[in-house]
Amino acid sequence: MFGYLQIDKAELKVREYEAYQSVYCGLCRQLGKDYSVFARFALSYDCTFYAMTLMALRRSCSGFDDGRCRFNPLKKCKYARCEDDCYRKAAALTVITVYYKLCDDLRDDGFFKRLVVRLIKPFFSHCRKKAQQRFPRLDEIVGNMLKAQQKVEQSPQPQMDETAHPTAVMLAEIMRAEGRDTMEERVLYECGYHLGRWVYFMDAADDYEKDKKRGGFNPFLLTEAENLRTVMNEVLSQSLARSYDAYNLLDITDFKGILDNMMLYGFPLRQQKVLAVPQGGNT
Amino acid sequence: MKNPYEVLGVSPDATDEEIKKAYRNLAKKYHPDNYANSPLADVAEEKMKDVNEAYDQINRMRQKGKGTGSAASSGTTYNNGYSKFNSVRIFIQRNMIAEAENVLNSTPQNERDAEWHFLMGMCHFRKGWNEQAKTEFQTAVNMDPNNSEFRSAYQTVNAQRTYNYGGYNTGSYNNGNTNGMGCTACDVCSMMMCASVCCRCCGR
Repeated sequence: MFGYLQIDKAELKVREYEAYQSVYCGLCRQLGKDYSVFARFALSYDCTFYAMTLMALRRSCSGFDDGRCRFNPLKKCKYARCEDDCYRKAAALTVITVYYKLCDDLRDDGFFKRLVVRLIKPFFSHCRKKAQQRFPRLDEIVGNMLKAQQKVEQSPQPQMDETAHPTAVMLAEIMRAEGRDTMEERVLYECGYHLGRWVYFMDAADDYEKDKKRGGFNPFLLTEAENLRTVMNEVLSQSLARSYDAYNLLDITDFKGILDNMMLYGFPLRQQKVLAVPQGGNT
Repeated sequence: MKNPYEVLGVSPDATDEEIKKAYRNLAKKYHPDNYANSPLADVAEEKMKDVNEAYDQINRMRQKGKGTGSAASSGTTYNNGYSKFNSVRIFIQRNMIAEAENVLNSTPQNERDAEWHFLMGMCHFRKGWNEQAKTEFQTAVNMDPNNSEFRSAYQTVNAQRTYNYGGYNTGSYNNGNTNGMGCTACDVCSMMMCASVCCRCCGR
């Protein structure tokens, strides 16, 4: 995942922002505990969102503890207390996604980047094995995504919808695993599917210029639309809208303010930032 | 039976006004229009039913004998007379998309009329393949511009592509989205102004 699943800080209440940070810090601490100090660098907003969603769905956050940041002992911070394995699962997802991202980078990036990737890969490979033992299903889902993605990119004439499908299914399956009954599973699947689709197209829109120059694969290169920016915006907006509709059917009370903020403000804000970057193409 | 107050998300000692407001918000949220063609239409309908029942129950408990104001949720029904794709429609209604697509794909080229494209679009839509859904709906509308079923499906897709849609018009970001150029200089200024006001409040 790519760091698009963020909050809009300006629209949050201060206590909500503190709660968000305490989950972020909690996840960071878990990465240190379960893997190692270096794994903390893999901490991402996406996985914080995942940890927060898990805690909201399971209602397993029971309060906040005071503590200090491990990187900066002068800084005080709070840790959200969690009664089950939400952090552990989110930490596992973090290292698993980083590992597969590195595998993917080996395929198409430049010589020097590949060299760096080769150097750090063994470490994450080790972490991923640990994570795989704890959560085999998570590893399977992410691994399947990468395989399916490579297959789509190599197919002769992929449709735009097809290119986003693997990432969308990945998030859909990850979310579905949290359902307590078939109805909730369906809602979570739909919510995850469209959010995953959104993330994929966000990444594609972000990399459009780079891929165009370097001849990389990009789904937006498949369309010959004149007003590419408008098309991107519409594709992204529709995915968010459909994800939000499904999200609305979930019974969430914990962290609701924060998750609402992400859905209604945080994600659209990222979308606007990505689309506002000057691009060489038509507007 | 669920606690009706929990369903509406209000405390048992909320005023009648508060309950009415909570009910209205939820009814708006789960309104079938927001879930037209969605694979989750039935879930939304179920939620709407819960909300309506809870509201009725609270009203009865409070012995006001008011009108219930229950909104009849109709969902999408596909019964407009005879259609050679009836089996496909039934598959779609039951969320059996692979089966529906099988039947559609085995239809010979020359029998692929407007309805065929509409149903194909519906399959794509259910899967979340918005781009192909849009193309198919558009083809259906072009082939048969007078069919209101095809037109409304096409409109739903288009409405979702802008933020001025259903539950999604609550944010302040629904202006100026059509050009895709989010943050203007004005926004930055007003943001700074807000920030400085905030700082002053904290006494910094």
